[in-house]
Amino acid sequence: MNVLFGSPALHALVLGVGIVSALLGVTSYFIWFERKFAGRMQSRIGPKHVGPYGLLQPIADAFKLLIKADITPDTADRALFNLAPLLAVCVALLSLAVLPLASGLVIADLDVGVLFFLAAGALTVVPTWMAGWGSNNKYALLGGMRAIAQSVAYGVPLVLAALVPVILSGSMKLSDIVAAQAGGHWFALWPPGPGLGAGVLFVLASLAEGNRIPFDIPEAESELVSGISTEYTGMKFGMFYLGEYVHSLVVAALFVTLFLGGYDGPGPDVLALQLLWFVLKVSLVSVLLLWVRWSYVRLRSDQLMTLCWKYLLPSGLLLVAASAVWVWWTEQGGSR
Amino acid sequence: MSVIAPLLDALRTTIRNLGRKPITAMHPFEPRTRAPRYRQSFALLHEANGDEACIGCKKCEKICPSEVIVVGTAAKRESPATGKKRGWADDFTLDLQACIVCELCVQVCPVDAIVMVRVPNAPGFEREDLFLTMKRLYENEALPHAPAIGSSMIASHNPAPASQAQAAAPAQEPGT
Amino acid sequence: MAMSAHATAHTSQAKAAELPRVPTPAIGPRANPYLDADSFEGEGDLMVLNMGPQHPSTHGVLRLKLWLDGEVVIKAVPYLGYLHRGVEKLLEKLSYVQSTPIVDKNDYVASMTNELALVMAFEKLEGCEVPRRARYLRTICAEMQRVASHLLWLGTFALDMGGALGGGTTAFMYCLRERERILDLFEELTGARFHYHMMQIGGVRHDLPVGWDVHMKQVAADIRARIPEYESMLSANPIFRSRTKGIGRIDARLAMELGLSGPNLRACGVDFDLRRSQPYAAYDEIEVHSALAYEGDVYARYQVRVAEMYESLRIATALVDGVPAGPIMGRKPIETVNAVKPPAGEAYVAIDSPRGELGCWVVSDGSPRPYRCKLRPPSYHALAALPYLLPGTTIPDVVVILGSLDPIMGEADR
Repeated sequence: MNVLFGSPALHALVLGVGIVSALLGVTSYFIWFERKFAGRMQSRIGPKHVGPYGLLQPIADAFKLLIKADITPDTADRALFNLAPLLAVCVALLSLAVLPLASGLVIADLDVGVLFFLAAGALTVVPTWMAGWGSNNKYALLGGMRAIAQSVAYGVPLVLAALVPVILSGSMKLSDIVAAQAGGHWFALWPPGPGLGAGVLFVLASLAEGNRIPFDIPEAESELVSGISTEYTGMKFGMFYLGEYVHSLVVAALFVTLFLGGYDGPGPDVLALQLLWFVLKVSLVSVLLLWVRWSYVRLRSDQLMTLCWKYLLPSGLLLVAASAVWVWWTEQGGSR
Repeated sequence: MSVIAPLLDALRTTIRNLGRKPITAMHPFEPRTRAPRYRQSFALLHEANGDEACIGCKKCEKICPSEVIVVGTAAKRESPATGKKRGWADDFTLDLQACIVCELCVQVCPVDAIVMVRVPNAPGFEREDLFLTMKRLYENEALPHAPAIGSSMIASHNPAPASQAQAAAPAQEPGT
Repeated sequence: MAMSAHATAHTSQAKAAELPRVPTPAIGPRANPYLDADSFEGEGDLMVLNMGPQHPSTHGVLRLKLWLDGEVVIKAVPYLGYLHRGVEKLLEKLSYVQSTPIVDKNDYVASMTNELALVMAFEKLEGCEVPRRARYLRTICAEMQRVASHLLWLGTFALDMGGALGGGTTAFMYCLRERERILDLFEELTGARFHYHMMQIGGVRHDLPVGWDVHMKQVAADIRARIPEYESMLSANPIFRSRTKGIGRIDARLAMELGLSGPNLRACGVDFDLRRSQPYAAYDEIEVHSALAYEGDVYARYQVRVAEMYESLRIATALVDGVPAGPIMGRKPIETVNAVKPPAGEAYVAIDSPRGELGCWVVSDGSPRPYRCKLRPPSYHALAALPYLLPGTTIPDVVVILGSLDPIMGEADR
């Protein structure tokens, strides 16, 4: 792989720090955008008072969270309770490591990038359960239980959905997958069917696996007060919140990479243009997800399980089989 | 398809509303139009000749369901304007903390001395900020009033046919 | 209430006719779920969860004691009284004139109907006639209040289901947006948005302002046009349907045993509507089609309430055109605190509030204060159904079932 700064370690360090800080900044303004977007959708104004168009609202919110009382319940498991929010953000950021933002602009272009992403995704349940158990709160416990059931269940269709681009491109390396889609041969569009289906499945499953909106059943504030984050205050709560949004952005980015050709787009292969295409696609997918989020009510937890085992899993298997057949057929020279 | 179509319908509803004008406003910063009858706080009025209208009859104190009005009745003395002997109030306090804004005091006032004003009492940091003393009540006289006064309400409540001309509301006041 | 008296009453439910008629299952004697509330142990390792009084979805301060096996509710008992303000005792201390604005605070999302029930009981006791214009105004207010109350119910119900950060909030905001317009109407009429003090013994306190009827018809038309939008987000949505259909089924017999009324009872297929069976105010002058559904589940209650919104808008719009001229009070104006002095005796008046049969029983000893004033809040009886409905469901259903009963704790606890 091509390394920008001499040694691979320096390359990973510089890019890692740069990308993570950029993402955290983007996330806070993504939250601002979501509040504005949801506000307008609900006939409200959204943030307005702090700065022009409320643009300083994320900064004000961060300060507010920092100065709030930091409470650890007496009966809580202090180590688990305090570690969980930190881990939640870290785990959400992990998948970034293998994400190619533009050609060569990737922290570590692992040969098993997809596998790494799946492993990182499966980790999200750990901080959630740490928070659920460590809070020593009945609502948090119920939320944690839901989180485990949901993460385990949705891990399976997630793997199946991620397998489809792997089969189609013949590689688990994300940059290879992007390269296989170069020139507009995006997997979501071609082959018709398996690609798009797997893409939808991928987004659903990865949001559900991370217990993120709109599958935030472990948090379910109308039922479980605030679920796993019931006992959290101040910046610890803020980190859960941040982790949630980072995760949804990363999911959108991975969806773009796996199914929408990543940084591929019309125009010369310039780094800036590639980055622009990538950001554009990710924003589009994120807005779509927001739109869906603010339009639907929540499923019940057992219905979510039913959806997974009865519908998503079989359709995932079908999609994998269909893409395998497609690859076999094209290799037979069938693409007349 | 029977599942997908309604789901898309919900998306259409929300996107249609995205284009609608927001109905919320930055309330303290953007004034809000209020109905003419909007009632918030209280004021005591002066008569046209400059006398304080309140005669200290304590009718409002007695009818107040939450007992927030305390009237101090003074001895009868001559009015400086007309020279006639009449009652006076030397103290009048109204505690907005417990007031339920039922407007009964306005309804029973025989001399139209107390009215409701359309401007809310400003929130404060002290309990005294919500305590309308006689001085503050007379200061509130300058604020825009709700149209209801005791005599007009009683007249409109009168079942006698002659009072039907009063049925319509008084002229509209501009919103504050 | 004799149920047979009006079983053969009007049957003109255009909307209800589309619904399938489900036979009411015959059920034997029931065990009283309240009896072992303090000593219940259950089998296995149960977790006792006190849902509320501080919980986002308990509609105020209801406390539900749940015995959970995992997430499945084994037993549930509601505990009331966290919002008890002693209103009935307060009414004994206040004079008849003073008590009207107090009951505004009982059912704080439908103040008009609270005032109406109280005032009508006092009028029955005093024996005074209410002029036709006042009766029309009362009916219009009660019906618009019903729309406002159901809108708030619909919004909070969506919120219970969709959560504060999701589609539930969107539906909630839409519902509140339309409810605001009704509050604006009431503000124009009475000068207040929540606690109106519109009714008074013998009539109403405020006459119609100029142009109110035009404004009201405009609002009614707008809301009527917007209701399909909520339906597209809720009842048309397969997620919503899967969460409401077959959940929290009350059979007609249980509903009648528990004294359920209003939309909760009509969703069980019992055609009981006080507006038709004992017409009060101006309901004898207009035909009321009360919505009916037969399943008795959460979805049926939703359907009934949405159909009632259409019906209430129709009634209010029809009445506002025909408001007769005349006085708004049937007795001499109330100018003192002790103006109303009914003779010794007692009276019970029940009206169909947005939540059901809202009754007021008042005993007079001839003094200007009631000797006893008992309110019969529909929410209280609706909450009594919870121990029968909740066992066997999971926590998300608890919230949905509770929301579908539309309890207002201010009214249940008084």
